[in-house]
Amino acid sequence: MDRKTKEAIRYLGYGKHKVEDRVLVQVRECFEELSRVIAKKSIYRTFDLEIKDHVIRIGTMEIKSRNLEKNLIGCESAVVFGATLGTGVDRLMHKYTLTDMSKAVILQACAAADLEEYCDSCQDEIVAMMNKENKYVRPRFSPGYGDFDIRHQEDMIRMLELPKTIGLTMTDSYMLTPVKSVTAVMGISSENTPCHRQGCESCQKKDCAYRRET
Amino acid sequence: MIKEHLGKQLLFFDGGMGTLLQEKGLKPGELPEIWNLEHKEDVIDIHRQYFEAGSNVVLANTFGANALKFHDDSYSLEEIILAAVENAKEGARLGAKEEQETYIALDMGPTGKLLKPMGDLEFEDAYNAFKEAAVCAEKAGVDFVHIETMSDTYEVKAAVLAVKENTNLPVTVTMIFDERGKLLTGGTVPAVVALLEGLRVDAIGLNCGLGPKQMMPILEEMVKYTSLPIIVKPNAGLPKQKDGQTYYDVGAEEFASCMQEIVRMGACAIGGCCGTTPKHIKVMTEKCRGMRTKEVAWKEETIVSSYGQAVILGDKPLIIGERINPTGKKKFKQALKEHDIDYILREGITQQDKGAHILDVNVGLPDIDEAAVMREVIVELQSVTSLPLQIDTVDAKAMEQAMRIYNGKPMINSVNGKQESMDVVFPLVKKYGGCVVALTLDENGIPSDAKGRVEIAGKIIEEAKKYGIDKKDIVVDVLTMTISSEPDGAKTTLEALEMVRKAYGVRTVLGVSNISFGLPSRPVINANFYTMAMQKGLSAGIINPSSEAMMRSYHSFLALMNYDENCEKYIEMYAQAVPESAVKPSGAHMDLKTAIERGLKEEAGHISEMLLKDMESLEIINQYMIPALDTVGKGFENGTVFLPQLLMSAEAAKQAFSVLKQKMETEGAVQEKKEKIVLATVKGDIHDIGKNIVKVLLENYGFQVIDLGKDVDPKKILQTVKQEGITLVGLSALMTTTVTSMEETIKLLRKEAPDCKVMVGGAVLNQEYADMIGADFYGKDAMQSVYYAQSVLGK
Repeated sequence: MDRKTKEAIRYLGYGKHKVEDRVLVQVRECFEELSRVIAKKSIYRTFDLEIKDHVIRIGTMEIKSRNLEKNLIGCESAVVFGATLGTGVDRLMHKYTLTDMSKAVILQACAAADLEEYCDSCQDEIVAMMNKENKYVRPRFSPGYGDFDIRHQEDMIRMLELPKTIGLTMTDSYMLTPVKSVTAVMGISSENTPCHRQGCESCQKKDCAYRRET
Repeated sequence: MIKEHLGKQLLFFDGGMGTLLQEKGLKPGELPEIWNLEHKEDVIDIHRQYFEAGSNVVLANTFGANALKFHDDSYSLEEIILAAVENAKEGARLGAKEEQETYIALDMGPTGKLLKPMGDLEFEDAYNAFKEAAVCAEKAGVDFVHIETMSDTYEVKAAVLAVKENTNLPVTVTMIFDERGKLLTGGTVPAVVALLEGLRVDAIGLNCGLGPKQMMPILEEMVKYTSLPIIVKPNAGLPKQKDGQTYYDVGAEEFASCMQEIVRMGACAIGGCCGTTPKHIKVMTEKCRGMRTKEVAWKEETIVSSYGQAVILGDKPLIIGERINPTGKKKFKQALKEHDIDYILREGITQQDKGAHILDVNVGLPDIDEAAVMREVIVELQSVTSLPLQIDTVDAKAMEQAMRIYNGKPMINSVNGKQESMDVVFPLVKKYGGCVVALTLDENGIPSDAKGRVEIAGKIIEEAKKYGIDKKDIVVDVLTMTISSEPDGAKTTLEALEMVRKAYGVRTVLGVSNISFGLPSRPVINANFYTMAMQKGLSAGIINPSSEAMMRSYHSFLALMNYDENCEKYIEMYAQAVPESAVKPSGAHMDLKTAIERGLKEEAGHISEMLLKDMESLEIINQYMIPALDTVGKGFENGTVFLPQLLMSAEAAKQAFSVLKQKMETEGAVQEKKEKIVLATVKGDIHDIGKNIVKVLLENYGFQVIDLGKDVDPKKILQTVKQEGITLVGLSALMTTTVTSMEETIKLLRKEAPDCKVMVGGAVLNQEYADMIGADFYGKDAMQSVYYAQSVLGK
């Protein structure tokens, strides 16, 4: 089973349990169908970073977040990153919500896995580029993780001009649209501090049904 | 006047503004429009440089000047726009030579929000934001409005209407395409062309996103489809990054050479976008000055479009799905009366899956607010299908509202030769754009001969011309008459079809199935008549794509007439076909309980049908279905069955229920009255998958769910609770930012409907949180909601 399929299965709540063959077939079908509608786009920019009196300043954005601060300690700059799979996914999800709810649920898990994989591959590129300059990249951290206020979506959308550059917008309640989209911050440092790339393991919500088994 | 020059002589626009402001100290994220007042001199200086470089058109620094994007307490939008236009005029005074033709345009950029149904911005709110800016701009004395950097056809439609309805200014539009030639929202070049030509803008084109080289293939496509002058404003190449800064590396010389090629390809107004500087523009004007623009060629294609695709009515016949129509359909009527929009959407999805190219939408029924329902159905259909829609109504109000809210260039069904009809429909087509079906009847009825019908078609085409509507946007329907009452009906129709096509070179449609009214085995006649009509050159048949007979005719025709290369589609459709008699219902060796437990939908349906031969519905429910659902539900609780399986079982049970229900209905049995539950995803929240899961399960357990959807106002929930006498409401919310509106909803319900219980669920919630906001119950998963509903409603 490839990594993306494993992730989709995890989002469906299977944990370590065996997955029915029919579900696996549908997972495969969903990935196929998604590949026809996904129009993935991403963008990032590097900004100066300053942390003073527990205020994190990235470009013009000011953030108070202990979790993010911990993540960024020792960094001189930060990458602000945005990515989306496009509105086609939203339409496909809506379609299956009306016609086949189990498929809709599987599709949603597969789209989430697609998005993660895409963000990982973008991050790999950023890491490779930074490494060339002897710089190191911290795991990505998104508004809404821990105490990183979701309202910062607005700053990040403006800093990267996301509506114009990749078609990523947000609603009045700070939800990203298209639904399968991400914004994130990645710290850049000159020193290599060992870090897991994945975010799941570092989350404080230890009783989560979707927690990745380590 | 800019209009007189567009397309006749080469015009030069200016180049980038943002990049230059950044060089002067504008920070990323800072509002550039404020600089019109706070750094006036800098802005004027940039305009001056562009005029000096030879630009004829300079865009005022108003890209983000709309109420949705521009939030600043110190200045009003009007102040900003007046100052911006004044700055541009001052730039012209300082920089333009005496003989230089100069124009100032309002630069109208996107709101930065996504419109409903994909986002949360109402079409009319976007419209109002653009309207405000356009009105200010006219007051400030701009020459025209340039709408640019748009990546959504819907938003651009709102912008164009706002300018046209509230000012007398000319309007030009350029949009962002990516390297695949698509908008960020998925639209194609012909789809954009169809929409904007329909809205009758003065010029269209491309800007931003790409460099001049990457724009060429997209320009080529645009030249192929549009009959309008084209504006091209590329970036100085693709964006690159160095030291955290975005930069563009196509230099002035290279840029200018590319722009020469772009003029040769057919652009008649050129300029630059991100990364281009006065130097780029200077070299460009020097190199291109004196070049002749290519004449804009008139295009004959009949095109309808949606947000995502264009459909061309050409020689290869197309299918217009007829199923979204209550006429003669009991279930559809009931769905309309009960406001079951989902049912209607499913009809649309099915037709798309069966091969329809355009969907006819008719929701006309006495006693319903047709305009309101039409509007809602149009918007919702466009959230599940990218097929263009055909707005089918005799209600002028419904037609106008649907055309306004439709994202694309619609097909309109219909106009006819009566003066009254043309007086109503043509102004709408002129304003919103569309291809209109012209029925060949007039004040004297339907002519019995072909010649008479062709004459009416001619009359309609002439009348349309008065509105500037070309015959390519008139699709003639010579009307299908029932052969059981008119023996020559088919012959006359076929004759008229051919004549009208030859006489005027117009495209045609026919509602096919009317031919067989009153006859047995109607599909046999229908399918044959359909083939005959296609042979006479029918452009699109309005048919039922789920009818096997019709689709056989269609695919055979395409294969026979070489519209289906190598018969590929035909082979795909029929290579595996088995004779109908050989198809046996499967599942004969399985019992219903197993079928549901395994989530086998079709089998569950077949087995139920067989069981009904010897058993009563209620017996089947008690003996097989309830135990199956219980087993699966318990398994889910114990962690041995997972969500996909739980839902597959639910879908299988639903299938079985529908078979039983059908039987009960035909027998006229009194059905058990179901308890009603209201479900809603709270205001501000657009993630509703959890709510939809709960809905499926509650329905399985015999509750009637009134699903209010997502982003639901607390007042609407209260209103429904009161109207329907509801005692249980389920609310879902995904994020901390929307739990507040969940709390607000609960407070309102407590106050106004104290007897109503509220259960809540969603990713962000837990028991503690639920208690805090005053919910009666927190459902940690979908099954918990079912058990709670059972305990509250006593089932």
